[in-house]
Amino acid sequence: MEWLNPYHLQVASFVLINAILGVSIYVTLSTGQLSLGNAGFMSIGAYTAALLSTQHQIPIPVGIAAGSLLAGVAGILVGIPALRLSGVYLAIATLGFGEVLRAVLINWESLTGGAVGIAAIPQMGRVILAWASDRGFSPESLGLQPNQFISLMVFTILLLCTVLTISFFLRLSRSRVGRAYTAIRLDESAAAAAGIPITYYKVLAFSQGALLSGFAGALFAHSTSFVSPGDFTYHRAVEILVFAVFGGSEHIFGPVFGAAFLTVAPEALRAISDYRYILYGILLVAMMIFRPQGVIDPALLRRFRRSAKGTPA
Amino acid sequence: MSALLSLRDIGKSFGGLAALSGISFDVQQGEIVGVIGPNGAGKTTLFNVITSVFPPTAGEVILDGERISGLPPHKITKRGITRTFQNIRLFSTMTVEENVMVGRHCRTGAGVWQGVLHTGKERREERGIRAKTRELLDLVGLSGTDVEMAAGSLPYGHQRRLEIARALAAEPRLLLLDEPVAGMNNAETQDVFELIKKVQSLGVTILLIEHDMSLVMKACDRLVVFNFGRKIAEGTPAEVQDNPQVIEAYLGTEERDADA
Repeated sequence: MEWLNPYHLQVASFVLINAILGVSIYVTLSTGQLSLGNAGFMSIGAYTAALLSTQHQIPIPVGIAAGSLLAGVAGILVGIPALRLSGVYLAIATLGFGEVLRAVLINWESLTGGAVGIAAIPQMGRVILAWASDRGFSPESLGLQPNQFISLMVFTILLLCTVLTISFFLRLSRSRVGRAYTAIRLDESAAAAAGIPITYYKVLAFSQGALLSGFAGALFAHSTSFVSPGDFTYHRAVEILVFAVFGGSEHIFGPVFGAAFLTVAPEALRAISDYRYILYGILLVAMMIFRPQGVIDPALLRRFRRSAKGTPA
Repeated sequence: MSALLSLRDIGKSFGGLAALSGISFDVQQGEIVGVIGPNGAGKTTLFNVITSVFPPTAGEVILDGERISGLPPHKITKRGITRTFQNIRLFSTMTVEENVMVGRHCRTGAGVWQGVLHTGKERREERGIRAKTRELLDLVGLSGTDVEMAAGSLPYGHQRRLEIARALAAEPRLLLLDEPVAGMNNAETQDVFELIKKVQSLGVTILLIEHDMSLVMKACDRLVVFNFGRKIAEGTPAEVQDNPQVIEAYLGTEERDADA
Protein backbone atom coordinates (compact mmCIF):
# COMPACT_ATOMS: atom_id res chain seq x y z
CA MET A 1 0.00 0.00 0.00
CA GLU A 2 2.91 2.30 -0.67
CA TRP A 3 0.97 4.30 -3.24
CA LEU A 4 -1.58 5.22 -0.60
CA ASN A 5 0.65 7.86 0.89
CA PRO A 6 -0.67 10.84 2.83
CA TYR A 7 0.72 13.23 0.24
CA HIS A 8 -1.36 11.79 -2.61
CA LEU A 9 -4.39 11.66 -0.37
CA GLN A 10 -3.91 15.25 0.68
CA VAL A 11 -3.75 16.44 -2.92
CA ALA A 12 -6.88 14.41 -3.60
CA SER A 13 -8.56 16.02 -0.58
CA PHE A 14 -7.76 19.49 -1.88
CA VAL A 15 -9.18 18.48 -5.25
CA LEU A 16 -12.44 17.60 -3.51
CA ILE A 17 -12.62 20.77 -1.43
CA ASN A 18 -11.88 22.81 -4.53
CA ALA A 19 -14.53 20.90 -6.44
CA ILE A 20 -17.11 22.02 -3.88
CA LEU A 21 -15.83 25.58 -4.25
CA GLY A 22 -16.15 25.15 -8.01
CA VAL A 23 -19.79 24.13 -7.58
CA SER A 24 -20.32 27.13 -5.29
CA ILE A 25 -19.35 29.61 -8.00
CA TYR A 26 -21.26 27.60 -10.60
CA VAL A 27 -24.52 27.80 -8.66
CA THR A 28 -24.36 31.57 -8.37
CA LEU A 29 -23.24 31.91 -11.99
CA SER A 30 -26.11 29.74 -13.16
CA THR A 31 -28.41 32.71 -12.50
CA GLY A 32 -25.99 35.04 -14.27
CA GLN A 33 -24.45 36.52 -11.12
CA LEU A 34 -20.68 36.69 -10.88
CA SER A 35 -19.68 36.57 -7.22
CA LEU A 36 -16.08 36.91 -6.13
CA GLY A 37 -17.09 36.76 -2.47
CA ASN A 38 -16.75 32.99 -2.21
CA ALA A 39 -13.38 33.16 -0.46
CA GLY A 40 -15.06 35.38 2.13
CA PHE A 41 -17.99 33.00 2.61
CA MET A 42 -15.47 30.17 2.82
CA SER A 43 -13.75 31.96 5.70
CA ILE A 44 -17.08 32.30 7.54
CA GLY A 45 -17.58 28.55 7.35
CA ALA A 46 -13.99 27.77 8.27
CA TYR A 47 -13.78 30.12 11.25
CA THR A 48 -17.21 29.18 12.57
CA ALA A 49 -16.40 25.48 12.50
CA ALA A 50 -12.90 26.07 13.91
CA LEU A 51 -14.09 28.26 16.79
CA LEU A 52 -17.00 26.02 17.71
CA SER A 53 -14.78 22.96 17.94
CA THR A 54 -11.73 24.54 19.59
CA GLN A 55 -13.47 26.83 22.08
CA HIS A 56 -16.80 25.16 22.71
CA GLN A 57 -15.99 21.50 22.03
CA ILE A 58 -18.95 21.24 19.66
CA PRO A 59 -18.90 17.98 17.65
CA ILE A 60 -17.32 18.40 14.21
CA PRO A 61 -20.42 17.61 12.08
CA VAL A 62 -22.49 20.14 14.04
CA GLY A 63 -19.76 22.76 13.61
CA ILE A 64 -19.58 22.10 9.87
CA ALA A 65 -23.35 22.43 9.55
CA ALA A 66 -23.33 25.64 11.61
CA GLY A 67 -20.49 27.12 9.54
CA SER A 68 -22.28 26.33 6.27
CA LEU A 69 -25.57 27.75 7.47
CA LEU A 70 -23.98 30.93 8.80
CA ALA A 71 -22.26 31.43 5.44
CA GLY A 72 -25.62 30.84 3.75
CA VAL A 73 -27.30 33.46 5.92
CA ALA A 74 -24.45 35.87 5.18
CA GLY A 75 -25.12 35.08 1.53
CA ILE A 76 -28.73 36.22 1.89
CA LEU A 77 -27.64 39.42 3.64
CA VAL A 78 -25.05 40.21 0.96
CA GLY A 79 -27.22 38.88 -1.84
CA ILE A 80 -30.19 41.18 -1.30
CA PRO A 81 -28.36 44.51 -1.70
CA ALA A 82 -26.16 42.90 -4.37
CA LEU A 83 -29.29 42.42 -6.51
CA ARG A 84 -29.00 46.03 -7.52
CA LEU A 85 -25.69 45.24 -9.16
CA SER A 86 -24.84 43.02 -12.05
CA GLY A 87 -21.85 41.93 -14.07
CA VAL A 88 -18.55 43.47 -13.17
CA TYR A 89 -20.08 45.74 -10.51
CA LEU A 90 -21.37 42.74 -8.61
CA ALA A 91 -17.94 41.09 -8.93
CA ILE A 92 -16.23 44.15 -7.47
CA ALA A 93 -18.73 44.54 -4.62
CA THR A 94 -18.47 40.89 -3.60
CA LEU A 95 -14.69 40.99 -3.84
CA GLY A 96 -14.83 44.00 -1.53
CA PHE A 97 -17.00 42.05 0.87
CA GLY A 98 -14.39 39.27 1.00
CA GLU A 99 -11.58 41.70 1.67
CA VAL A 100 -13.52 43.52 4.41
CA LEU A 101 -14.23 40.20 6.04
CA ARG A 102 -10.54 39.30 5.92
CA ALA A 103 -9.66 42.61 7.55
CA VAL A 104 -12.11 41.77 10.32
CA LEU A 105 -10.53 38.34 10.78
CA ILE A 106 -7.07 39.91 11.06
CA ASN A 107 -8.11 42.63 13.50
CA TRP A 108 -10.62 40.92 15.76
CA GLU A 109 -7.75 39.19 17.53
CA SER A 110 -9.65 38.22 20.70
CA LEU A 111 -11.97 36.02 18.68
CA THR A 112 -10.04 34.97 15.58
CA GLY A 113 -6.45 34.95 16.73
CA GLY A 114 -5.63 37.71 14.26
CA ALA A 115 -3.18 37.14 11.45
CA VAL A 116 -1.86 34.01 13.18
CA GLY A 117 -5.19 32.29 12.77
CA ILE A 118 -6.52 29.28 14.66
CA ALA A 119 -4.39 26.18 15.20
CA ALA A 120 -5.06 22.77 16.69
CA ILE A 121 -8.50 22.44 15.12
CA PRO A 122 -9.62 18.82 15.59
CA GLN A 123 -8.77 16.99 12.40
CA MET A 124 -11.52 14.70 11.11
CA GLY A 125 -9.23 11.73 10.47
CA ARG A 126 -7.53 11.95 13.85
CA VAL A 127 -10.83 12.23 15.67
CA ILE A 128 -12.12 9.13 13.92
CA LEU A 129 -8.89 7.24 14.66
CA ALA A 130 -9.04 8.22 18.35
CA TRP A 131 -12.68 7.19 18.51
CA ALA A 132 -11.99 3.86 16.82
CA SER A 133 -8.87 3.17 18.90
CA ASP A 134 -10.92 3.60 22.07
CA ARG A 135 -13.01 0.74 20.85
CA GLY A 136 -10.03 -1.49 20.28
CA PHE A 137 -9.58 -0.85 16.55
CA SER A 138 -6.09 -0.59 15.13
CA PRO A 139 -5.40 0.63 11.58
CA GLU A 140 -2.67 -2.01 11.32
CA SER A 141 -5.41 -4.60 11.20
CA LEU A 142 -6.23 -3.19 7.73
CA GLY A 143 -2.53 -3.09 6.85
CA LEU A 144 -2.46 0.73 7.18
CA GLN A 145 -0.13 3.07 9.02
CA PRO A 146 -2.00 5.45 11.39
CA ASN A 147 -1.25 8.46 9.19
CA GLN A 148 -2.40 6.55 6.11
CA PHE A 149 -5.63 5.74 7.91
CA ILE A 150 -6.12 9.36 8.96
CA SER A 151 -5.64 10.69 5.43
CA LEU A 152 -7.83 7.98 4.01
CA MET A 153 -10.65 8.88 6.42
CA VAL A 154 -10.41 12.56 5.50
CA PHE A 155 -10.43 11.67 1.83
CA THR A 156 -13.44 9.37 2.21
CA ILE A 157 -15.48 11.96 4.09
CA LEU A 158 -14.63 14.66 1.57
CA LEU A 159 -15.44 12.33 -1.31
CA LEU A 160 -18.82 11.63 0.22
CA CYS A 161 -19.48 15.35 0.73
CA THR A 162 -18.39 16.20 -2.81
CA VAL A 163 -20.46 13.48 -4.43
CA LEU A 164 -23.48 14.55 -2.39
CA THR A 165 -22.95 18.20 -3.33
CA ILE A 166 -22.56 17.48 -7.03
CA SER A 167 -25.54 15.16 -7.21
CA PHE A 168 -27.66 17.64 -5.24
CA PHE A 169 -26.97 20.44 -7.69
CA LEU A 170 -27.03 18.19 -10.73
CA ARG A 171 -30.54 17.15 -9.80
CA LEU A 172 -31.47 20.71 -8.96
CA SER A 173 -30.28 21.89 -12.37
CA ARG A 174 -32.73 19.45 -14.00
CA SER A 175 -35.69 20.52 -11.90
CA ARG A 176 -38.17 23.38 -12.04
CA VAL A 177 -35.81 25.52 -9.97
CA GLY A 178 -32.88 24.71 -12.25
CA ARG A 179 -34.87 25.74 -15.31
CA ALA A 180 -35.73 29.00 -13.59
CA TYR A 181 -32.02 29.62 -12.88
CA THR A 182 -31.07 29.03 -16.51
CA ALA A 183 -33.93 31.15 -17.81
CA ILE A 184 -32.82 34.05 -15.58
CA ARG A 185 -29.23 33.71 -16.78
CA LEU A 186 -30.25 33.70 -20.44
CA ASP A 187 -32.80 36.54 -20.39
CA GLU A 188 -33.91 38.12 -17.16
CA SER A 189 -36.87 40.07 -18.46
CA ALA A 190 -38.17 37.20 -20.58
CA ALA A 191 -37.90 35.01 -17.47
CA ALA A 192 -39.90 37.53 -15.46
CA ALA A 193 -42.51 37.65 -18.21
CA ALA A 194 -42.67 33.85 -18.09
CA GLY A 195 -43.72 34.15 -14.47
CA ILE A 196 -40.43 33.58 -12.64
CA PRO A 197 -39.83 35.67 -9.49
CA ILE A 198 -36.35 36.94 -10.34
CA THR A 199 -35.46 38.38 -6.94
CA TYR A 200 -36.30 35.20 -5.07
CA TYR A 201 -34.25 32.94 -7.30
CA LYS A 202 -31.27 35.25 -7.53
CA VAL A 203 -31.02 35.54 -3.75
CA LEU A 204 -31.60 31.80 -3.42
CA ALA A 205 -28.76 30.98 -5.83
CA PHE A 206 -26.49 33.54 -4.23
CA SER A 207 -27.02 32.12 -0.75
CA GLN A 208 -26.69 28.54 -2.00
CA GLY A 209 -23.30 29.49 -3.44
CA ALA A 210 -22.35 31.14 -0.14
CA LEU A 211 -23.52 28.13 1.86
CA LEU A 212 -21.43 25.81 -0.30
CA SER A 213 -18.37 28.02 0.09
CA GLY A 214 -18.89 27.94 3.84
CA PHE A 215 -19.27 24.17 3.69
CA ALA A 216 -15.99 23.85 1.79
CA GLY A 217 -14.33 26.20 4.30
CA ALA A 218 -15.55 24.18 7.28
CA LEU A 219 -14.34 20.95 5.70
CA PHE A 220 -11.04 22.65 4.94
CA ALA A 221 -10.64 23.70 8.61
CA HIS A 222 -11.21 20.16 9.84
CA SER A 223 -8.92 18.64 7.19
CA THR A 224 -5.88 20.84 7.70
CA SER A 225 -6.49 21.63 11.41
CA PHE A 226 -5.22 25.15 10.85
CA VAL A 227 -6.85 28.26 9.34
CA SER A 228 -5.62 31.83 9.00
CA PRO A 229 -6.80 34.90 7.07
CA GLY A 230 -4.07 34.09 4.54
CA ASP A 231 -6.14 31.13 3.34
CA PHE A 232 -8.97 33.40 2.18
CA THR A 233 -7.30 36.15 0.23
CA TYR A 234 -8.09 37.74 -3.09
CA HIS A 235 -5.98 34.98 -4.67
CA ARG A 236 -8.38 32.35 -3.39
CA ALA A 237 -11.35 34.25 -4.82
CA VAL A 238 -9.67 34.44 -8.21
CA GLU A 239 -8.64 30.81 -8.03
CA ILE A 240 -12.28 29.79 -7.55
CA LEU A 241 -13.27 31.99 -10.49
CA VAL A 242 -10.61 30.35 -12.65
CA PHE A 243 -12.11 26.91 -11.91
CA ALA A 244 -15.28 28.10 -13.63
CA VAL A 245 -13.61 30.06 -16.41
CA PHE A 246 -11.22 27.26 -17.29
CA GLY A 247 -13.53 24.31 -16.72
CA GLY A 248 -16.67 25.99 -18.06
CA SER A 249 -19.64 27.42 -16.24
CA GLU A 250 -22.57 26.14 -18.30
CA HIS A 251 -22.57 22.69 -16.78
CA ILE A 252 -21.80 21.66 -13.21
CA PHE A 253 -19.02 19.34 -14.38
CA GLY A 254 -17.15 22.33 -15.84
CA PRO A 255 -15.96 23.94 -12.59
CA VAL A 256 -15.53 20.50 -11.01
CA PHE A 257 -13.18 19.54 -13.81
CA GLY A 258 -11.49 22.94 -13.58
CA ALA A 259 -10.96 22.49 -9.84
CA ALA A 260 -9.52 19.00 -10.26
CA PHE A 261 -7.22 19.93 -13.12
CA LEU A 262 -5.96 23.16 -11.59
CA THR A 263 -5.31 21.50 -8.23
CA VAL A 264 -3.43 18.50 -9.60
CA ALA A 265 -1.47 20.29 -12.31
CA PRO A 266 0.61 22.51 -9.97
CA GLU A 267 1.48 19.44 -7.90
CA ALA A 268 2.52 17.51 -10.97
CA LEU A 269 4.55 20.53 -12.08
CA ARG A 270 6.14 21.16 -8.69
CA ALA A 271 9.25 22.57 -10.30
CA ILE A 272 7.41 25.56 -11.69
CA SER A 273 4.90 26.07 -8.89
CA ASP A 274 6.38 29.52 -8.20
CA TYR A 275 4.95 30.61 -11.53
CA ARG A 276 1.47 29.34 -10.78
CA TYR A 277 -0.25 32.72 -10.93
CA ILE A 278 1.53 33.62 -14.15
CA LEU A 279 0.27 30.36 -15.59
CA TYR A 280 -3.24 31.14 -14.34
CA GLY A 281 -3.10 34.46 -16.14
CA ILE A 282 -1.87 32.97 -19.39
CA LEU A 283 -4.42 30.19 -19.15
CA LEU A 284 -7.25 32.67 -18.61
CA VAL A 285 -6.25 34.77 -21.59
CA ALA A 286 -5.83 31.70 -23.77
CA MET A 287 -9.26 30.39 -22.75
CA MET A 288 -10.87 33.75 -23.52
CA ILE A 289 -9.43 33.60 -27.00
CA PHE A 290 -9.81 29.95 -27.93
CA ARG A 291 -12.62 28.52 -25.84
CA PRO A 292 -14.56 31.21 -24.00
CA GLN A 293 -17.19 28.75 -22.75
CA GLY A 294 -14.53 26.70 -20.88
CA VAL A 295 -13.24 23.18 -21.49
CA ILE A 296 -16.55 21.50 -20.70
CA ASP A 297 -19.82 22.69 -22.19
CA PRO A 298 -23.17 20.97 -22.67
CA ALA A 299 -22.40 20.27 -26.34
CA LEU A 300 -19.22 18.40 -25.39
CA LEU A 301 -21.10 16.35 -22.79
CA ARG A 302 -23.79 15.48 -25.33
CA ARG A 303 -21.11 14.22 -27.70
CA PHE A 304 -19.63 12.10 -24.90
CA ARG A 305 -23.00 10.66 -24.05
CA ARG A 306 -23.70 9.80 -27.66
CA SER A 307 -20.37 8.10 -28.20
CA ALA A 308 -20.86 6.22 -24.93
CA LYS A 309 -24.10 4.87 -26.36
CA GLY A 310 -22.20 3.86 -29.47
CA THR A 311 -24.13 6.03 -31.89
CA PRO A 312 -22.19 8.51 -34.03
CA ALA A 313 -22.47 12.13 -33.02
CA MET B 1 -70.57 43.79 -17.68
CA SER B 2 -67.12 44.76 -16.58
CA ALA B 3 -64.17 44.47 -18.90
CA LEU B 4 -61.38 41.89 -18.55
CA LEU B 5 -58.71 44.53 -18.98
CA SER B 6 -59.32 48.15 -18.36
CA LEU B 7 -56.75 50.88 -18.95
CA ARG B 8 -57.51 54.13 -17.16
CA ASP B 9 -55.73 57.25 -18.26
CA ILE B 10 -52.35 55.57 -18.64
CA GLY B 11 -49.35 57.86 -19.02
CA LYS B 12 -45.70 56.94 -19.31
CA SER B 13 -42.85 59.42 -19.58
CA PHE B 14 -39.17 58.76 -19.99
CA GLY B 15 -37.47 61.82 -18.61
CA GLY B 16 -39.33 64.65 -20.30
CA LEU B 17 -40.53 62.53 -23.18
CA ALA B 18 -44.13 61.35 -22.98
CA ALA B 19 -44.26 57.94 -24.64
CA LEU B 20 -47.89 57.46 -23.65
CA SER B 21 -50.47 59.90 -22.40
CA GLY B 22 -54.11 59.61 -21.46
CA ILE B 23 -54.58 56.11 -22.77
CA SER B 24 -57.93 54.61 -21.79
CA PHE B 25 -59.72 51.66 -23.31
CA ASP B 26 -61.29 48.36 -22.31
CA VAL B 27 -60.79 44.85 -23.57
CA GLN B 28 -63.77 42.53 -23.15
CA GLN B 29 -63.50 38.85 -22.32
CA GLY B 30 -62.99 36.76 -25.47
CA GLU B 31 -62.18 39.63 -27.82
CA ILE B 32 -59.24 40.07 -30.14
CA VAL B 33 -58.27 43.72 -29.97
CA GLY B 34 -55.68 45.11 -32.34
CA VAL B 35 -53.35 47.92 -31.35
CA ILE B 36 -52.12 49.68 -34.45
CA GLY B 37 -50.27 52.84 -35.26
CA PRO B 38 -47.06 54.08 -36.88
CA ASN B 39 -43.66 53.11 -35.50
CA GLY B 40 -42.87 54.90 -32.27
CA ALA B 41 -46.54 55.46 -31.45
CA GLY B 42 -46.12 53.78 -28.05
CA LYS B 43 -47.65 50.37 -28.73
CA THR B 44 -44.85 48.28 -27.24
CA THR B 45 -44.54 50.76 -24.38
CA LEU B 46 -48.18 50.03 -23.62
CA PHE B 47 -47.41 46.28 -23.48
CA ASN B 48 -44.47 47.01 -21.18
CA VAL B 49 -46.73 49.01 -18.87
CA ILE B 50 -49.41 46.30 -18.81
CA THR B 51 -46.84 43.59 -17.98
CA SER B 52 -45.04 45.82 -15.45
CA VAL B 53 -41.69 45.89 -17.22
CA PHE B 54 -41.95 49.44 -15.90
CA PRO B 55 -44.79 51.09 -13.98
CA PRO B 56 -46.96 53.76 -15.61
CA THR B 57 -46.22 57.33 -14.56
CA ALA B 58 -49.96 58.00 -14.47
CA GLY B 59 -53.17 56.04 -14.49
CA GLU B 60 -53.89 52.44 -13.68
CA VAL B 61 -54.23 49.02 -15.24
CA ILE B 62 -57.23 47.01 -14.03
CA LEU B 63 -57.54 43.29 -14.66
CA ASP B 64 -60.92 41.81 -13.89
CA GLY B 65 -61.74 44.58 -11.46
CA GLU B 66 -58.40 44.50 -9.63
CA ARG B 67 -55.65 47.05 -9.97
CA ILE B 68 -52.49 45.31 -11.22
CA SER B 69 -50.23 48.22 -12.09
CA GLY B 70 -47.30 48.27 -9.69
CA LEU B 71 -47.18 44.50 -9.21
CA PRO B 72 -43.89 42.82 -10.17
CA PRO B 73 -43.90 41.21 -13.66
CA HIS B 74 -44.10 37.60 -12.46
CA LYS B 75 -47.23 38.38 -10.44
CA ILE B 76 -48.86 39.91 -13.53
CA THR B 77 -48.11 36.63 -15.30
CA LYS B 78 -49.62 34.69 -12.43
CA ARG B 79 -52.74 36.87 -12.55
CA GLY B 80 -53.16 35.75 -16.13
CA ILE B 81 -51.44 38.11 -18.56
CA THR B 82 -48.60 36.78 -20.70
CA ARG B 83 -46.89 38.15 -23.75
CA THR B 84 -44.57 37.62 -26.67
CA PHE B 85 -41.89 40.07 -27.72
CA GLN B 86 -41.42 42.10 -30.86
CA ASN B 87 -37.84 40.86 -31.21
CA ILE B 88 -38.18 37.21 -30.24
CA ARG B 89 -36.85 36.51 -26.75
CA LEU B 90 -36.59 32.78 -26.33
CA PHE B 91 -34.12 31.13 -23.98
CA SER B 92 -32.01 30.29 -26.99
CA THR B 93 -29.66 27.66 -25.57
CA MET B 94 -32.41 25.83 -23.73
CA THR B 95 -34.28 23.16 -25.65
CA VAL B 96 -37.60 23.71 -27.39
CA GLU B 97 -39.32 21.67 -24.68
CA GLU B 98 -37.62 23.48 -21.79
CA ASN B 99 -38.71 26.85 -23.14
CA VAL B 100 -42.34 25.87 -22.82
CA MET B 101 -41.68 24.17 -19.48
CA VAL B 102 -40.30 27.44 -18.11
CA GLY B 103 -43.62 29.01 -19.06
CA ARG B 104 -45.37 26.59 -16.67
CA HIS B 105 -43.38 27.99 -13.75
CA CYS B 106 -46.11 30.02 -12.13
CA ARG B 107 -48.66 27.20 -12.38
CA THR B 108 -46.41 24.71 -10.61
CA GLY B 109 -44.72 24.72 -7.23
CA ALA B 110 -41.89 22.21 -6.72
CA GLY B 111 -39.12 23.81 -4.68
CA VAL B 112 -35.46 22.99 -4.14
CA TRP B 113 -35.88 19.90 -1.95
CA GLN B 114 -38.71 18.42 -3.95
CA GLY B 115 -36.68 18.89 -7.12
CA VAL B 116 -33.57 17.30 -5.64
CA LEU B 117 -35.30 14.41 -3.89
CA HIS B 118 -37.68 13.69 -6.80
CA THR B 119 -40.60 13.29 -4.48
CA GLY B 120 -43.68 11.59 -5.84
CA LYS B 121 -45.47 14.91 -5.99
CA GLU B 122 -42.61 16.46 -7.93
CA ARG B 123 -42.50 13.59 -10.42
CA ARG B 124 -46.23 13.90 -11.02
CA GLU B 125 -45.88 17.63 -11.46
CA GLU B 126 -43.03 17.21 -13.97
CA ARG B 127 -45.09 14.67 -15.91
CA GLY B 128 -47.94 17.17 -15.97
CA ILE B 129 -45.61 19.91 -17.21
CA ARG B 130 -44.33 17.69 -20.01
CA ALA B 131 -47.83 16.63 -21.02
CA LYS B 132 -49.00 20.25 -21.14
CA THR B 133 -45.85 21.15 -23.09
CA ARG B 134 -46.54 18.50 -25.73
CA GLU B 135 -50.14 19.67 -25.96
CA LEU B 136 -49.06 23.28 -26.52
CA LEU B 137 -46.35 22.39 -29.04
CA ASP B 138 -49.03 20.49 -30.88
CA LEU B 139 -51.40 23.47 -30.71
CA VAL B 140 -48.88 25.89 -32.20
CA GLY B 141 -47.88 23.38 -34.87
CA LEU B 142 -44.46 22.39 -33.56
CA SER B 143 -45.24 18.78 -32.71
CA GLY B 144 -43.09 17.62 -35.60
CA THR B 145 -39.90 19.31 -34.42
CA ASP B 146 -37.15 17.80 -32.32
CA VAL B 147 -38.03 19.02 -28.83
CA GLU B 148 -34.46 18.39 -27.66
CA MET B 149 -33.16 20.93 -30.14
CA ALA B 150 -31.85 24.27 -28.90
CA ALA B 151 -34.62 26.86 -29.31
CA GLY B 152 -32.19 29.28 -30.95
CA SER B 153 -31.57 26.91 -33.85
CA LEU B 154 -35.24 26.74 -34.85
CA PRO B 155 -36.25 28.49 -38.07
CA TYR B 156 -37.54 32.03 -37.50
CA GLY B 157 -41.23 31.29 -37.97
CA HIS B 158 -41.04 28.37 -35.57
CA GLN B 159 -39.37 30.56 -32.96
CA ARG B 160 -42.38 32.89 -33.08
CA ARG B 161 -44.70 29.93 -32.55
CA LEU B 162 -42.58 28.59 -29.73
CA GLU B 163 -42.77 31.95 -28.01
CA ILE B 164 -46.56 31.80 -28.24
CA ALA B 165 -46.50 28.28 -26.78
CA ARG B 166 -44.35 29.52 -23.88
CA ALA B 167 -46.76 32.38 -23.25
CA LEU B 168 -49.74 29.98 -23.32
CA ALA B 169 -48.06 27.61 -20.86
CA ALA B 170 -48.93 29.98 -18.01
CA GLU B 171 -52.63 29.60 -18.93
CA PRO B 172 -53.22 33.29 -19.53
CA ARG B 173 -56.62 34.92 -19.61
CA LEU B 174 -55.13 37.68 -21.71
CA LEU B 175 -52.37 37.14 -24.26
CA LEU B 176 -50.38 40.08 -25.59
CA LEU B 177 -48.87 39.45 -29.00
CA ASP B 178 -46.27 41.94 -30.19
CA GLU B 179 -46.03 41.74 -33.99
CA PRO B 180 -46.43 37.97 -34.28
CA VAL B 181 -46.15 37.94 -38.07
CA ALA B 182 -43.31 40.45 -38.51
CA GLY B 183 -41.02 39.21 -41.26
CA MET B 184 -43.32 36.38 -42.34
CA ASN B 185 -44.58 35.58 -45.83
CA ASN B 186 -48.28 35.28 -46.73
CA ALA B 187 -48.56 31.56 -46.10
CA GLU B 188 -46.89 31.84 -42.70
CA THR B 189 -49.06 34.84 -41.83
CA GLN B 190 -52.16 32.81 -42.70
CA ASP B 191 -50.95 30.03 -40.37
CA VAL B 192 -50.46 32.48 -37.52
CA PHE B 193 -53.91 33.95 -38.20
CA GLU B 194 -55.41 30.50 -37.81
CA LEU B 195 -53.38 29.94 -34.66
CA ILE B 196 -54.63 33.21 -33.15
CA LYS B 197 -58.22 32.23 -33.89
CA LYS B 198 -57.63 28.81 -32.36
CA VAL B 199 -56.22 30.41 -29.21
CA GLN B 200 -59.24 32.71 -29.04
CA SER B 201 -61.56 29.72 -29.32
CA LEU B 202 -59.88 28.31 -26.21
CA GLY B 203 -61.21 31.29 -24.29
CA VAL B 204 -58.07 33.43 -24.30
CA THR B 205 -58.54 37.13 -24.87
CA ILE B 206 -55.93 38.65 -27.18
CA LEU B 207 -54.38 42.06 -27.50
CA LEU B 208 -52.47 42.23 -30.74
CA ILE B 209 -49.88 44.71 -32.00
CA GLU B 210 -49.44 44.29 -35.71
CA HIS B 211 -48.43 46.23 -38.79
CA ASP B 212 -49.80 43.67 -41.23
CA MET B 213 -53.15 45.32 -42.01
CA SER B 214 -54.64 42.35 -43.81
CA LEU B 215 -54.13 40.26 -40.68
CA VAL B 216 -55.38 42.98 -38.34
CA MET B 217 -58.54 43.59 -40.37
CA LYS B 218 -59.27 39.89 -40.58
CA ALA B 219 -58.41 38.83 -37.04
CA CYS B 220 -59.51 41.68 -34.80
CA ASP B 221 -62.93 42.38 -33.37
CA ARG B 222 -61.93 45.91 -32.49
CA LEU B 223 -58.97 48.18 -33.11
CA VAL B 224 -57.30 50.87 -31.07
CA VAL B 225 -55.16 53.30 -33.03
CA PHE B 226 -52.16 55.05 -31.52
CA ASN B 227 -50.16 57.99 -32.76
CA PHE B 228 -47.48 59.90 -30.85
CA GLY B 229 -48.39 58.18 -27.59
CA ARG B 230 -52.08 59.03 -27.77
CA LYS B 231 -55.13 57.04 -28.71
CA ILE B 232 -56.52 58.65 -31.84
CA ALA B 233 -59.29 56.22 -32.69
CA GLU B 234 -61.10 53.12 -31.52
CA GLY B 235 -63.73 50.93 -33.12
CA THR B 236 -64.37 48.02 -35.43
CA PRO B 237 -61.88 47.52 -38.27
CA ALA B 238 -64.38 49.01 -40.74
CA GLU B 239 -64.97 52.10 -38.62
CA VAL B 240 -61.30 52.69 -38.06
CA GLN B 241 -60.45 52.22 -41.71
CA ASP B 242 -62.60 55.20 -42.68
CA ASN B 243 -61.52 57.44 -39.83
CA PRO B 244 -59.83 60.53 -41.32
CA GLN B 245 -57.47 60.88 -38.36
CA VAL B 246 -56.25 57.31 -38.87
CA ILE B 247 -55.71 57.86 -42.56
CA GLU B 248 -53.80 61.00 -41.73
CA ALA B 249 -51.60 59.18 -39.21
CA TYR B 250 -50.71 56.52 -41.72
CA LEU B 251 -50.59 58.47 -44.97
CA GLY B 252 -50.02 62.06 -43.83
CA THR B 253 -52.22 65.01 -44.84
CA GLU B 254 -52.89 65.82 -48.45
CA GLU B 255 -50.96 68.80 -49.65
CA ARG B 256 -53.98 70.85 -50.67
CA ASP B 257 -51.91 73.85 -51.49
CA ALA B 258 -50.17 72.01 -54.29
CA ASP B 259 -53.43 71.65 -56.18
CA ALA B 260 -54.56 75.18 -55.63
